[in-house]
Amino acid sequence: MPIVALLDSSLTLWRGKDVLPFIDGLSTNKVTELKKGQIIRTIFTESNAKIIDCITLFHMGEFIVAAGHLPHLDNLINHTHKKILGQDVSITDITSRNDIFAEFNCTNEQEIIGTFSSHGEITRANISANFSLIIASKGNGPENLATFEQFNQWRIANKIPWHGYEISNSFHPFSCGLEELVHQNKGCYIGQEILTRMRTRKRQGKILIQVDTLTCNPANITTMGETQSLAIIRT
Amino acid sequence: MDCGTCETAGPVQVVKPEVVEVNLTISLTAKNMLSDAFGDDRSHALLVGVLSGGCSGYMYDLQIVESTDVDCQELSVDGFRVLVPNDSSHLLDGIEIDYVEKLMGGGFKINNPNAESSCGCGESFS
Repeated sequence: MPIVALLDSSLTLWRGKDVLPFIDGLSTNKVTELKKGQIIRTIFTESNAKIIDCITLFHMGEFIVAAGHLPHLDNLINHTHKKILGQDVSITDITSRNDIFAEFNCTNEQEIIGTFSSHGEITRANISANFSLIIASKGNGPENLATFEQFNQWRIANKIPWHGYEISNSFHPFSCGLEELVHQNKGCYIGQEILTRMRTRKRQGKILIQVDTLTCNPANITTMGETQSLAIIRT
Repeated sequence: MDCGTCETAGPVQVVKPEVVEVNLTISLTAKNMLSDAFGDDRSHALLVGVLSGGCSGYMYDLQIVESTDVDCQELSVDGFRVLVPNDSSHLLDGIEIDYVEKLMGGGFKINNPNAESSCGCGESFS
């Protein structure tokens, strides 16, 4: 299955007994029940519900590893570190030690979705039925890579939002197609009031859709394809 | 994946906020409620802390404790022992602890001059 290098991904290691409740209190998904060997995605949002970063958490047993978007890492650290206060949480940037890849158009069995496995230098996280993240120690990643253009074409065909395109500080999670990462019944977090209001009133302002490239207003296009594109449009 | 756990990869440097000598006040209604809660027993203290989370980023954490492992400053306010964790002292200097009755029942309320905004339910602030 095709694999693409994600050159602008970040990887951080989070330690301390308070890490999961800490992340849970600041992001959209319910992460407190994450167990060793499992992954979960969650989104840190600002008080206006705009995205700071969407991260994938790996429960490694003794610590948590978070894969996110490198251009958003400083904002994420600035947003979180001043809220640590007296809690047992420390964050280490391990981006430079690893290479991160996406395997797309793959086939993941239902029972392994939401889990990861490690073989030697490579860890493979099964995000969805047809998408996985691969993290390899520096220089030990897979070869014969697909192009980012191919990855984007697949994303357009499957309406998958991505960092720097749809997932950005310009949008909130609902408008860029990440509804499934906003838990409905968890406690408060920053941005929750706005997201809950949107959900209960069924008014989210904008949505992610597939559009015909030639007929869509170019200003709305977030990922451009030859015939089809992804766009975020006002409802 | 190389987590760097075998080597001494330093954590992201976190600049700890300066510890502030906290001054706080307790409103008359809050004093009455605390008197009811404590009775004549002054061996316990009111711990006023801040946790991350809530709709606005920080949540107040009020507990009645006998002692705590948290590094705190101890104040005596109108005869009550009040403990304030040093890690969150910069967020709590100048607060007033109040008690308000609401339709859904009464509760302590913190009036905080350091808060830029608070969420609709008043439980958290930023």
